[in-house]
Amino acid sequence: MAEWEIWAVIVVLALSTAITRSGFWLIGHRVTLPPRVQDMLRYAPACALAAIIAPDLVLGSGGQVHLGLSNPKLLAGIAALGFYVWRKNMLQTIVFGMLVFTLLRILHVFGASA
Amino acid sequence: MNAPDPVSHSAAVVERHDPALWREGLRTGVPSLFGIGAWGLVVGIAMVKTGLTALQATGMTLLVFAGSAQLASLPLILAHAPIWVIFATALVVNLRFVIFSALLAPHFTHLPWRQRLLYGYIAGDLTVAMFLQRFPTAAPVPGKLSYLKGLVFPNWAAWQIGSLTGIFLGSAIPTEWGLGFAGTLAILCITVPLVVNRPALCGVLVAGPVAVLANGFPYKLGLLAAVFAGMLAAMTAESILEKRKARHG
Repeated sequence: MAEWEIWAVIVVLALSTAITRSGFWLIGHRVTLPPRVQDMLRYAPACALAAIIAPDLVLGSGGQVHLGLSNPKLLAGIAALGFYVWRKNMLQTIVFGMLVFTLLRILHVFGASA
Repeated sequence: MNAPDPVSHSAAVVERHDPALWREGLRTGVPSLFGIGAWGLVVGIAMVKTGLTALQATGMTLLVFAGSAQLASLPLILAHAPIWVIFATALVVNLRFVIFSALLAPHFTHLPWRQRLLYGYIAGDLTVAMFLQRFPTAAPVPGKLSYLKGLVFPNWAAWQIGSLTGIFLGSAIPTEWGLGFAGTLAILCITVPLVVNRPALCGVLVAGPVAVLANGFPYKLGLLAAVFAGMLAAMTAESILEKRKARHG
C-alpha cells in the first residue's frame, strides 16, 4: 500500500472507533434500535473475529488450506483456546500460545534437518 | 449579560470533581492495567511486523485506539484490500462497542457534546463493564464522571505505553519468531467471551470455515461474506432453539 493509503486507512479506522463508541453518546437519546437489529449486532463481532482468526490459523503463505499436525499455528491456536477457556486470562494465554508455537516451530526445524 | 445558563450550571454541580470517587475508579482499574498494556504491546509489535513505519504505527495507535479493529486491519492492509472493505471490517469488529456505549451513554447525556465524544471514544470494553458494576442505573449521582475518569485515563495511558513500547521494540525482534501470531492469540481471547450462547457458537463455527473457503474472494470480501454467513447461522440457530423451547416448554 502507498504511504497515503495507509494514512487513509488510519483515518477511516479512527472514524469507525468514533462512530461505534461515541455515536450513542452523541445521538443515542434520540434513537432506539429495533430488537431484531440488536440481535444481529450481538453476533456480528464474534463472527468477524472468528473470520479473522481462522484463515491465519489454517492457511499457508500461498493461500492453501493446511490442516494437520505439521501446522504449528493451528496446533498452538487450539492449545491457546483450551488454555483461555480454562484460565480466562489473556496475558497468560498469549504467553502460553507463543511458547507452544515457538516450540513446535523449532521442533519442525529439527525435524526438517534430521 | 452573562446570565448563568441553568442547565450547564446544574450539570457543573453534578460533575464537580470528586477526588474520592476518582481514586476509587483508579483503584478498581489498576489490576487490569497490566493486561491492557501487554495487549497494547502485542498490537504495537504486530503493526510494525506488518510493515507499518514507526510513525504510521504511532499514528494508528494514537488515533484509532481500538486493538481488535487495528489487528483486523493488518492482514487487509497486507493484502491491499480496498479502503472501504477495511472500514466495513473495522465497523463490524467494533460493533460490540455500540452495545457497550448504548449502556453507558445515558449516564452522561447532560455533558457538552465534545466531552461526550471524548469519553465515548476512550471508554473501551473493560472500563464500561467496571463502571456499570459500580453505577448500574443512569440516575444522576454526583462524582460519576470523576469515577469514569479514574477508570478511563489510566486505561488509555496503559494501552498507549504498551503499544508504543511494542512499536519501538518490535522492529528489534526477528521476524521468524512470529510475534505477529500473538495478535491472533489476543483476538482469540476477545472472541471467547463474545460466544455467549449456542447461537453465537454456531455463528462462529460457520464464520471461521467460510472465511477460510472464501479467502480467495476479490477485494478480501470473503471476510464480510463470512460475517454475514455467521450472523445468518446464529439467527437461524436462535429461532430453531426458541421454537424447540416453545414446543417443550
